[in-house]
Amino acid sequence: MHPKPTTLLQGTLDLLILKSLLAGEMHGLGISRRILQVTGGTFAVKPGSLFPALHRMEEEGWISAFWGESENNRRAKYYRLTKAGRNQLEAEKKRWGRISWAIAQALQAQ
Amino acid sequence: MGPHFLGNRTGFASAVERFGMPFVVKVRSFWRNLFASRRVESDLDQEIHTHLEMLTEENIRAGMPPKEAFRAARMELGGLDQLKEQVRERRIGGWLQSALSDFRYSVRQLRKNPAFTLVAVLTLALGIGANSTIFAIVSRFVLHAPPVGDPATLLSLHTTENNECCNAFSWPLFTDVRDNSRSFSGVAGFYELLPASISGNGDPQRLWGQATTTNFFDVAQLPMTVGRGFRSDEQNSPVVVLGNRVWKSRFNSDSDIVGKSITLSGRPFTIIGIAPPYFRGFDFILDTQFWVPIGNVDQLLPNTSHFDSRVHHWIVVAGRLKPGVSRSEAAAELQLLAQRFAQAHPDSERNLGFRFAQAGSLPPRDKNAVVLFLTTLMIVVFLVLLIACANVGNLFLAQAAGRQREMAVRVALGATRSQLLRQVLAESTLLSLLGGLLGVLISAWATNGLSAFRFPVPVTIDLNVGIDSKVLAFTLLLSIAAGLLFGLLPSWTAAWRLPFTALKGEDVLVRPGRFWSLRNVLVVAQISMSLVLLCVTGLCLRSLRSAANINIGFRSSGVLAMSVDPRLHGYTPERTVQFLTELQRRVSILPGVTSAAVTDALPLSGGHRSDGFQAIGKKALEPAPITELYMTTPGFLKTLGIHLVAGRDFSNDSAASPRVAIVNQVFADSFFPHENPIGQSVSGGGITYEIIGVTNNIKSRFLGEDLRPVLFRSLSQTVANDPSFAGYTILAGTASESSSVAGSMRSVIRDMDPTLAVFNEQTMRHHLREALFLPRLAGTLFAVFGTVGLLLAAIGLYGVMDYSVSLRINEIGIRMALGAQASSVQGLFLRRGLELTFLALAIGLPAAFAIAKLFSSILYGIKPHDTITFVAIPLFLAAIALLAIYVPARRATKLDPVVSLRSE
Repeated sequence: MHPKPTTLLQGTLDLLILKSLLAGEMHGLGISRRILQVTGGTFAVKPGSLFPALHRMEEEGWISAFWGESENNRRAKYYRLTKAGRNQLEAEKKRWGRISWAIAQALQAQ
Repeated sequence: MGPHFLGNRTGFASAVERFGMPFVVKVRSFWRNLFASRRVESDLDQEIHTHLEMLTEENIRAGMPPKEAFRAARMELGGLDQLKEQVRERRIGGWLQSALSDFRYSVRQLRKNPAFTLVAVLTLALGIGANSTIFAIVSRFVLHAPPVGDPATLLSLHTTENNECCNAFSWPLFTDVRDNSRSFSGVAGFYELLPASISGNGDPQRLWGQATTTNFFDVAQLPMTVGRGFRSDEQNSPVVVLGNRVWKSRFNSDSDIVGKSITLSGRPFTIIGIAPPYFRGFDFILDTQFWVPIGNVDQLLPNTSHFDSRVHHWIVVAGRLKPGVSRSEAAAELQLLAQRFAQAHPDSERNLGFRFAQAGSLPPRDKNAVVLFLTTLMIVVFLVLLIACANVGNLFLAQAAGRQREMAVRVALGATRSQLLRQVLAESTLLSLLGGLLGVLISAWATNGLSAFRFPVPVTIDLNVGIDSKVLAFTLLLSIAAGLLFGLLPSWTAAWRLPFTALKGEDVLVRPGRFWSLRNVLVVAQISMSLVLLCVTGLCLRSLRSAANINIGFRSSGVLAMSVDPRLHGYTPERTVQFLTELQRRVSILPGVTSAAVTDALPLSGGHRSDGFQAIGKKALEPAPITELYMTTPGFLKTLGIHLVAGRDFSNDSAASPRVAIVNQVFADSFFPHENPIGQSVSGGGITYEIIGVTNNIKSRFLGEDLRPVLFRSLSQTVANDPSFAGYTILAGTASESSSVAGSMRSVIRDMDPTLAVFNEQTMRHHLREALFLPRLAGTLFAVFGTVGLLLAAIGLYGVMDYSVSLRINEIGIRMALGAQASSVQGLFLRRGLELTFLALAIGLPAAFAIAKLFSSILYGIKPHDTITFVAIPLFLAAIALLAIYVPARRATKLDPVVSLRSE
C-alpha cells in the first residue's frame, strides 16, 4: 500500500521537476507520474501546481519546451533541462541538503 | 519512450540553451506573452487538452469504462479555465496583460454609467486641478533649480551678523572669500538692482540689470546665445551682455549684434553677447535684462560702489563648489574663514558669519513667510481634494452596492477576491486619471489667471506661473493616489464581504440600522472639511472687504503718477532738483490738473526708506523707533489729500538752509507725548531736522500694518546727500481720471528731456488695487476653493440621502401602506440627515478655529475668530445640508406605495 499522498513542501516542486527531467525529455503527465513514482507515491502533483510551475521555469530559462509526438501519436508539449536548469538543480539540491540536515538535527535534539 | 520530433527546435532556442542566457529567455517570453498572446493561448489550450486525453487513456488502460475514465480525468485536472488562469498569472508580464484587460473592462463600465462618470470626473478634476495649481506656484518659487549649468553646485552666499541672516557682502569681504576659500572653483559677485535707461532703436526704456564681476558667466556656466561673456581684463570696459527679450524686442534677434553699440543711461556700451532666453538672473523673480562688468557701476548709478568700505554690504555673492567638495565641508571652511576675518577686522566683522543656500532659492529671510503662505494654501487645496475623494468614494460605494450581483456572478465563475479588488481599483484609477487630465486643463487656466496678479513693487519682476513637467508628474502621481484612495474603501468592502447573499438579491452593503456605516462616516468627514474650508473662505472674504475699507490716510483716487530717474542720465543733484521743480511747475498748470508734487516713493509700495530716530534733548528711546521716510516737494500733502493737523507745509526750502521735516501723528505722539512737536528737533541717519508740521496718519508699507511713524523730508534738501535709488515720481491731482492728462504729462517730460525714460505710469486707484494684492489673491483663491468645497459637500450629502432613500423604498412602501403619515416618514430621513450634519459641525468647528489661527497673519482688520463668520457659515452649511436631505426624503413619500413595494 502506498502511503497517503501529501502536499508538496514550498520550493520542493522545482527540485522534483528538475530532477525528473534529468532522466530525459518528458511531457507534463510524464513528469507528474515520474514524481509520484520516484517518491514512492508520496507526492501527487496536481495540474494546478504543475503547469504554472512548468511555464514559470520555462520563462526562467531552466527548462525549454518543444512540441513532440506522444506514445499514442498525440501532439504533446515536451520539456527538457537546459544548462541553466542543470545549474539550478545543483543549487536546489544543495539547498535541500542543508534544509533536510537542519531538520534532522532539530528532530534529534533532546 | 523517447519522443519523436515533429520539427527542429529553432536556432534561437538552441542558442539560448547553449549559452545559458536566462535573461534573454525572459525578455523573449515577455515579448511573446504580450505580442503573440493568441499563439501562447492556443499552445496552452493544446497542452492541457493533450494532458486531459492522456489522463483519460491512462484511466481506460487501468480498466475504467470510457465515460468514467473521462470524468475521473476531468476531476483530476480541475476547472480548465481556472487552471489556465493560474498559468497566466505566473507568466512574465502576466500582470500587464491582466491590467490591460481590467482597463478595457473599466472603460466599458464607465461608459455604461455616463452620468456617474461625468460627476466623478468633474469632482476629481476640481480637486486635482486645485492641487496642481498650488503645486505649480510651489514649483515655480520654491522647487525650481536656477537656470545655470549644474545648478546643484552653485550656492548663493550670505553674511550674518550675530547669526542674524542675511546680508550681502562688502567688496573687501567678497575678495577675501574669493581669494582664500578652497571649497569653491569660482566665486562671483554682483550688484543686483541696477536701473538704466536704454536708448537707440526706439523710445527710451528703463531696464533693470546687474553689474557683475567678470567671472559671473563662467561661474554660472552659462552658454551665450550669441557672442561671449566677460573676459577677465574687462572689469572696467564699457561692454554689455543683453537679455534675450531685449535682443528680440529692440534688435529683432539680430545675429550680427556683437560689436554694435547701445546707449545705457547716456553712455555708449559695446554689445559682446546675448544671454540665453531662460536666463534672467539666478532667481526667477527679478527680470534682469542686461549685465555689465562691475567697474561700470558708478557710471550708471553714481555713488553706488564702495570698493574700499568694509561697512557697505552691496555685493551679492554666488560660489561654484569644487567637484568633490561637499556642502558641509564648504560650510566648515566658511566658518573658519569667518573667524579669521573677524580677528583681522574686529571693527566691522567682529560678529561675522556666513550662510549659504542653493542659488536661485528664495532669500532665507523671505522664505519663511512664503513657505508659510504656500503651506496653508496646500493644506486648503488638499482638503478640497479629500472632499472630492470622499464624494467620489461615496458615489463609488453606491455603485459597488448596485453591482454586487455582478460581483457575485464573477466570483461564482471563478474570479478570486484579488481579481475583484484589482478590477475595482482599475476603475477608480481610470476615473481619477481622467479627472487628473481635466484637472491639468483647469490648472492651466487658473495659473494663467494667477499670472495676471501684480505685486506692488517698483522693480520689474516676473511672477508668471505655468504648467511644467514637474507639475504634470505631480498631477499624475496625485491622480493615481486619489484613485487608490477612493477606490480602496469601497473595493475593500466589496471584496471583503464575499457576497454570497447577493445572488439572492440581498444587499450586504446595506445595513439600514447602522449609524457608523462607511458611507455615513464619509459624509460626516465631507461636511466637516467643507466647514473648515468655508470658514477660511469667509474670513478671507471679510478680510478683503475690510481691507478695501481701511482708512489709508490719503486720497485713493484722482491722482496720476509716473516716474523718471534723472540720475541715470548723469544729472547732478542741483540739476535734478531744478528739473523736478520745473517739472512740478509745468504739470501743475496743465489743464485738468488741480495740483502737482514730486516724491521719491508712493506710500503702500511695500516699504521704502526708513531709519531709527531720536528726539534731540530728550531721553533716548530704546530701541530707536524706525521711521518711514519720504522726500516731498511743497504741495505733496495737498495732492495726496493728507491733512496738516498743525504747522505748515514745505516752502521752497533751499539745500543750504536748516533741514526741516513734517511728521505724522504717530511720530509726534511717540517722541513728544504731551508737548507741541512744532519747533522740536529730531535726528535720524546722522541728520537733524526741525519739525515744522504734523499730519494725520497714513498707511506706509502695507494695508494691514499697524500705524508707523512717518517723516516727510524736503526733496530739495535731500536729493544731494541721500538720492533715491528708484527714481522720482511726479504726482498730479486730477479732477477726473482721464488719460488725456497722462498724455500731456508725458509730453511735458519729453519736452524737457527727450532721452528720459518714463516708467511706472499708473493711477492711484490702480496702485491701491496692487496694494490689495495679498488679500485679493487669498480672497479669490479661497472663494473659489470654498465654493468648490461647498458644492462637493452638497452633492455628496444629496447623493447619500438619495441613495439611502432608494434602498429603503420597500420599507417606505410598507410603512405608508400600513398608514404612516408622509410627514413622519420624511421625519425619519430628516432626523438621520440632521444627526449626521450636527455631528459633522461639531467636529468641523474646532478644526476651523484651529486653522483660522494659522491665517491670522494675512487677515486685515478682523480677528481670526470672527464671530460673524463662525456663526453664519455653520448655519449656511446646515441649511444647504437640510435642503440636500429634504429633497430625496420628500420624493420618497410621494411614491405610490404599490409601486415602491414592487421595486424589487
